[in-house]
Amino acid sequence: MDRKILFFKKLLVFVIMVIALNALLNIVYNRRMYYFRLSRQQDEQFEACPDSIRYLMLGNSHNRVDPAILGPGFSYIMPKEVYAQTYYKLKYILEKTNKRPQNILLSIDPVNFSPRAENELSFDGYWRKYLDYFEIARESNDPGYLLNWLSGNFFSYAGNYRYVLMSLQFRNADMQVVKNGYIPARDYRNFAKERNREALGFEIATVYLSSYGRNPVLGETKYYLKILSLCKQYRIRLILLRMPMSDEYLKYAHRMVDLEKLDRAIVTLTRDHCNNFLLFDYRNEFHGKPGYFFNADHVNPAGAAIISTKIKEELGKKQ
Amino acid sequence: MLFNSIGYLVFLPAVVLLYYLVPFRFRWMILLAASYFFYLLWRAEFVLVLMGATLVSYYAAVRMGKIPDKKQRLKYLLITLAVNLGMLVFFKYLVFFTDLVNQFAGIAGKRPVIPWMGILVPAGISFYTFQTIGYTIDVYRGVVKPEKNIGIYALFVSFFPLVLAGPIERGRRLIPQFHAEHSFDPQLFTSGLRLILWGMFKKVAIADRLSMFVDPVFSNIGYFHGPEIAIAIVLKMMEVYADFSGYTDIAIGSARLMGFRLSPNFNRPFSARSIAEFWSRWHISLTSWLRDYVYFSLPFTFRGRKVNWRMNLNLVIVFVLVGFWHGPYWNFIIFGLFQGTFMVIANVFRPLMTRFNRVTGLDSAPRLLQGLNITATFLLICSTAFFFGPHPLHDSFYMILNLADFSQTGHAILLPLLKNGDLLLGIVLVLFMLWFEYLVAMKSLASKFLCKPVIIRYAAYLFMVMFLLAFGVFSSQKFFYFQF
Repeated sequence: MDRKILFFKKLLVFVIMVIALNALLNIVYNRRMYYFRLSRQQDEQFEACPDSIRYLMLGNSHNRVDPAILGPGFSYIMPKEVYAQTYYKLKYILEKTNKRPQNILLSIDPVNFSPRAENELSFDGYWRKYLDYFEIARESNDPGYLLNWLSGNFFSYAGNYRYVLMSLQFRNADMQVVKNGYIPARDYRNFAKERNREALGFEIATVYLSSYGRNPVLGETKYYLKILSLCKQYRIRLILLRMPMSDEYLKYAHRMVDLEKLDRAIVTLTRDHCNNFLLFDYRNEFHGKPGYFFNADHVNPAGAAIISTKIKEELGKKQ
Repeated sequence: MLFNSIGYLVFLPAVVLLYYLVPFRFRWMILLAASYFFYLLWRAEFVLVLMGATLVSYYAAVRMGKIPDKKQRLKYLLITLAVNLGMLVFFKYLVFFTDLVNQFAGIAGKRPVIPWMGILVPAGISFYTFQTIGYTIDVYRGVVKPEKNIGIYALFVSFFPLVLAGPIERGRRLIPQFHAEHSFDPQLFTSGLRLILWGMFKKVAIADRLSMFVDPVFSNIGYFHGPEIAIAIVLKMMEVYADFSGYTDIAIGSARLMGFRLSPNFNRPFSARSIAEFWSRWHISLTSWLRDYVYFSLPFTFRGRKVNWRMNLNLVIVFVLVGFWHGPYWNFIIFGLFQGTFMVIANVFRPLMTRFNRVTGLDSAPRLLQGLNITATFLLICSTAFFFGPHPLHDSFYMILNLADFSQTGHAILLPLLKNGDLLLGIVLVLFMLWFEYLVAMKSLASKFLCKPVIIRYAAYLFMVMFLLAFGVFSSQKFFYFQF
């Protein structure tokens, strides 16, 4: 009997040690993770910005539209953001704050609708304040999403060693560069100087588009439709963007999926559910100009400035 | 419910706690209820198939137990074989056979004869039907007495640690354990926890990480060439091993928490010196099942020149069955055919190889010879891995035909892959896994570790848990062998 009691005591001590160490790592990660520091900066600036927002940029890191160029607005993009996250963030803004955007700029690319994107919820330590994981689990009939709630609250660092390394690399990064929520496009590399551009384009196309399989149909549309529905409800104009992609990425993307077919499907879907939208297509804007890219699928500051200016001009013409 | 899910982390402790709290005579009921609940979560209607397999084999075994004459017992054995194999064929192989008939009809210029049927395969059917068949054959042979308690027998078929992907247990080993009273054994309990942790590590940190590279290659094989294909093939074998042996470790560990000892399923297969040895180390419960219930049942004699020919033919038949067991695809059949053929070649050339080793002096350098044999076996296994998976058959041939194609290295796809921390980490962890399992098996690491002070053991466990959390891939990927 004594042996058993001793065993349970030891087990209890071990469990307490695991819980304590886990809590410590969770707190440190939430405070120091590079993207979380950026997002806190964004959140503070969002609180301080006027209630009426002319242009609100949402979506993932492809959407590098600079409000300083475009005009009065706010960039609330987050790297790796998927439409489920965009929807809940927008819902939060509209229902729990006094902010009222007039236009929302959202990037639409086949990657946003890929079957892979369906299951991708990242940075849950940040998203837990927006996302209703129980609703997502219920609607998708997949209790696995509750894991995201759990990890967001208690295991934020779990599986994210790469972001730990990244945060160490950027531990002294200047957080003041975030203006109107805009996280400047990365410029510590230039795609034009990469020796293996072909391979990098191929790699990104494979990662993003391989989940479409041989007969591509749009995978994730549920939350996109919910975004459209929110925009309709709050009379917000949607400005959809096809952001520039490198030639190398597009070469393999075209081989992997029928991009035109997917584009048509996205436009049809949007038209069927939204009557107030604009579509700006800059996908081939930097054809033959790798110097405007940070990597195969992200523009650099110079590229972002050009696109922001072009959007401003287009919007000027429309008004 | 997956072993690597939060649900299981709640389910398992709850079952273990209940198991020890209730009086002994109710324990099997708790386990049976938990096992059916565990299975129900996959798909409620699958339970009917599980119950069907259980009832038929139970009834047949009980009837056989009452008949002393072996010949008269045969009809009950045939009934249970027909029902269980019939279910297996219906759910798992019917689509394959109807496709085959339709393809022949197409060749003859006719329209498809049989309409396509979408049939869902009940989870774990390949495992529990083999378990019930093995049990009824044992009863038929008089090796085990039939289990009278239908609840205990149902638990034997549906026991939650093994119902989805084995190990395929024998009645004579597991059923007596359900009758025995297990008092809480701290040592066995700790060893169970250690195995679960190690299994999780293999699944979450290694297998799921490797799948991030292997899956895109296999799903877009047309874009890849020599070096990438070679790397993907080697990594796929490692992924499958980490995945399935990880699953088995969690299953065995879970059972140990309640005092049950399941059969081992793996024994460092990549240290095998021949294909035959590889299969005595890989998915042991399946290969030993096929050996005992199929291979030894096939007609052959041990005398004369003709004997070897028949034995070798039987070997090929068994391994084609091994392949076909994995799935209703030509890929798996060819995979099995290669394995069997390699073994036959090894049998035929064994005297020649022995002479070669003597002439070249290799037999006087046993370590070198062992290293060469291990390498050759690993390469042979990898060479058949092109066919190990449900991908289209032409993809397998594409991989083989393009394996020597280095013309596309201008793309240097390998470089960005190697720069990617995840792939490098995956490779390092694979090497660590192989090294660690070598230490455990050869240097008695586990017993040495248990002699260390508690603080060192705690630090090691804590490090393992934290490493798993920090470096795991938490996207609830299914276990590879669930598809079988």
